[in-house]
Amino acid sequence: MTAAALPGFPRPILRRRELGLLLAAAAALVLGNLSLGLTRTGILTLADPAGLLIYLAALVSVHFALVTAGRRVDEVLLPTVGLLGGIGLLLAERLPQDLVVQQVGPAVLGLASLQLVWLVLALVIAAVVAITVRSDRWLRLYKYTWAASGLGLLALTFVLGSDVNGTRLTLDLGPVSGQPSELLKVILVVFFAAYLAENRVLLADARVHLVGRLTVPPAPYLLPAGLMLALALGIVVIQRDLGAALLFYAVFLCLFYLATGSKVDVALGIGLFLVGFVILALVFPHVRDRVATWLDPWADPLGTGFQTIQALHAFARGGLLGTGLGAGLPTIGGQLPIPAVHTDFPLAALGEELGMAGVLGCYLVVVARGMRIAAAAADDVRALLCAGLALVIGVQAAIIAAGNLKLIPLTGITLPFISYGGSSLLVNGLIVGLLLAFSDRGPVPPGEPRRGRRVRGGA
Amino acid sequence: MTLQGIGGRRERPLGARVARLSLVLALVYGGLTLGAGYWQVFRADDLSRDPADAGVIAAARSVVRGRVLDRDGHILATSRRDAAGEPYRVYADASLSAPLGYTSRLYGSAGLEAAYASELLGAGGDDPASRALAKFRPRVSRGDDMRTSLSLSLQRLAVQLLGTDRGAVVALDPRTGDVLAMASTPTYDASGIANPATSRAAFAAARDDPGQPLLDRAIQGRYVPGSVFKIVTAIAGLSSGAITPATTFPQQPGAESTGLLVDGFRVRDGHHLFTGSELLDFNRATEVSCNIWYALAGLRTGGTGMDEAARRLGFGAPIPFDLATASSQLTNGGGRLPGGFADDVELANAAYGQGEVLVTPLQMALVAATVANGGVEPRPRLVTAFVSPSGVVRDASSGTLGRVLSAGDAAAITVAMTQAVEGADGQRFTSGAQVAGVTVAGKTGTAQLGGTGEPHSWFIGFAPAEAPTIAIAVVVEQGGHGGARAAPLAGEILAAFLAAKP
Repeated sequence: MTAAALPGFPRPILRRRELGLLLAAAAALVLGNLSLGLTRTGILTLADPAGLLIYLAALVSVHFALVTAGRRVDEVLLPTVGLLGGIGLLLAERLPQDLVVQQVGPAVLGLASLQLVWLVLALVIAAVVAITVRSDRWLRLYKYTWAASGLGLLALTFVLGSDVNGTRLTLDLGPVSGQPSELLKVILVVFFAAYLAENRVLLADARVHLVGRLTVPPAPYLLPAGLMLALALGIVVIQRDLGAALLFYAVFLCLFYLATGSKVDVALGIGLFLVGFVILALVFPHVRDRVATWLDPWADPLGTGFQTIQALHAFARGGLLGTGLGAGLPTIGGQLPIPAVHTDFPLAALGEELGMAGVLGCYLVVVARGMRIAAAAADDVRALLCAGLALVIGVQAAIIAAGNLKLIPLTGITLPFISYGGSSLLVNGLIVGLLLAFSDRGPVPPGEPRRGRRVRGGA
Repeated sequence: MTLQGIGGRRERPLGARVARLSLVLALVYGGLTLGAGYWQVFRADDLSRDPADAGVIAAARSVVRGRVLDRDGHILATSRRDAAGEPYRVYADASLSAPLGYTSRLYGSAGLEAAYASELLGAGGDDPASRALAKFRPRVSRGDDMRTSLSLSLQRLAVQLLGTDRGAVVALDPRTGDVLAMASTPTYDASGIANPATSRAAFAAARDDPGQPLLDRAIQGRYVPGSVFKIVTAIAGLSSGAITPATTFPQQPGAESTGLLVDGFRVRDGHHLFTGSELLDFNRATEVSCNIWYALAGLRTGGTGMDEAARRLGFGAPIPFDLATASSQLTNGGGRLPGGFADDVELANAAYGQGEVLVTPLQMALVAATVANGGVEPRPRLVTAFVSPSGVVRDASSGTLGRVLSAGDAAAITVAMTQAVEGADGQRFTSGAQVAGVTVAGKTGTAQLGGTGEPHSWFIGFAPAEAPTIAIAVVVEQGGHGGARAAPLAGEILAAFLAAKP
């Protein structure tokens, strides 16, 4: 009995590669869970069998949902993202549960339980989007509407939002709260993809002279995108969300390059960014402080530099192979050494306990798959859209990793799929869902040579 | 069903750009991996052994620190557990506060306790391979024991002899650099700081004491040396060839009563009452501590020669040692003459240990040890070995800081220093340093500080002169003449050490 036997339902398509990779990821997660259990109790036992089981069941369910839906979508993304999410869940299980506590109805949930809830929800979103989204018309046709609503949401946060850690990022509407800047990054990608695809020939060819032989696209064609970017940047900068600002700008430059192929424009964009950054540093003391802390965290080892220094020490303690899950991150008087480790410094925790931060490779896989999907896309809008979505994940991971490693000033954005945080996980689930949906290679072409006629639905 | 996009109008393919952008991102991730490698491999060791490392701090609250032992196996520091089961340190004697330091949950750590925190906590000293293996071993609950070269009895004696005075004593074996005693007074209550019950009060008392006991004078104190510095001038003069043991200066006898005029400044002496108009050679000038002879020797050696010898001895940089040392200086370094001297007056004054010369007691002990060791400067060390709880011994390295002067020149200086202690006129100053049945070589110093206060009292020397087993430097702040305070103090320590030797 298969669904294909029923009229009106798609024929299931086996996804062997995805299943194999999922099994490998699951094996790794089981091993990690065992390792954590062993470190904790001294006997070979799973640290959190229930959580692990629920999560793996959710992953496998998504897999079978995709199989049943019969869509020919990418088979590598889900296992990769599943592994990252699982590692994040392990980390949440390993950290003190009272880092985040929320009352949900009668139950009081700690860090790992909450992370599991968000992860499962994110997987549901990914699956639903991957299966139901067939066209991107609804995205591209209403690009200005999307953009306006995104900015509106952000502005609303600014007015009504509540301050967390000195930055106003959280919108609190009764029972629902979230960080709209997470959603805004998807909306911006949609807008930029649609806009740049529409105008890319003009942007590349209708040049005006700036100075001498240096040419730039004419202002009228740049204006809508520039204005949008400026608004988004302006709001997040005022909200002190510098990481989001850097992310928006970097993704915009990447998409601009993809659309026009103009390296000169990208170079100009980077120059403009540096100028803007210097101006920001001159205007805002908190930006200046960030830079000072980045250049020499040891100048104030117990104050502004504390977090950074502790993270570097954590990397150092880990070394090549790591201390093993649960064996690192010593607590001092019950306190973890790195403040905000579960949101801003998960990579330092992973670096300590799992060694040379190998998880970074997983993000590169996500980017690579996204870029493949983009290269194979049917038209420019979709190509740019897919590239942009993949870049949002890849660039965001790179920004926070580089901040953790003191390669650039630290900005408080999340490590996708691993950091604790509902908004971040749900939006990343949405991104994965969109990438999967847009990777659809269409139904199996008819007329494929078949060996005889198969009997379906039993004899 | 309908695939309208396929084969649609595409001005330029995006594929090539997508590939290029992917490559850029791959490079970025490569950079991130390199960054991770920098912290996780390249900097892993120094960061994870830092006393401020959370791992080290956390270990300190659960792991029992290894004991610290003296050269004879006496326990200098051990650990007890408080009511909560967390260990804290107990030190054998307050005299140990300077070299050992303390470790406290509230105030971190200092001294050897800080320098070897990771070893004492059982976390350090491993190469990457054994570190990797350590992941499969159960957690350490006890750190390595640390053997030091100190002699508890000698350390106690040194502090007891310094008494209520501020000052420092450094005694070491000139053949190996092993530090036998390193005293700094006043001492402080390290056990009190380590004990959680008394930590705050004991630390406040040490911090607020006007005698600054938290300053390890033996390695961090910078003093005007006075005449003990003449041994450095002798090393510079002899090794540069500017002087020989037979060198005399014709203008010296005549200048004794009025002072030697150098560029309008008079270098004065006090010994003409008993040497009269005698023409002094190197041995006699050292015996009676003739400022004028040494000023002339310094001028003949020149700023460059003085500077080179001082640098060979370790001036101008921290001394390689288990603990952080201050640098000694010959000049302030800003002068126009070679070696950084401002003028000949400064050079002449520096030659007998005034001018802008500042030295640490450890540096002067090394000067004596270099002469005692035939011209090769030993590298000082306090820690000789670590012993793991399972009994594995890891010896700390020992070595030298290189040859400073020839064995012949060292022998010549030994003769002069012996005469300064044992000679008929030398005894006028230095008789206190004598040890019955042993020939002692030494030199006193009386460091004029300007103003009205008493001078610092100095002595450096070694014994037995013919086959030295101990070299020493003593400074007593405002202790008066070198012969009055420092020399007898050194004599007692030399006697105690040599009597205890089998």
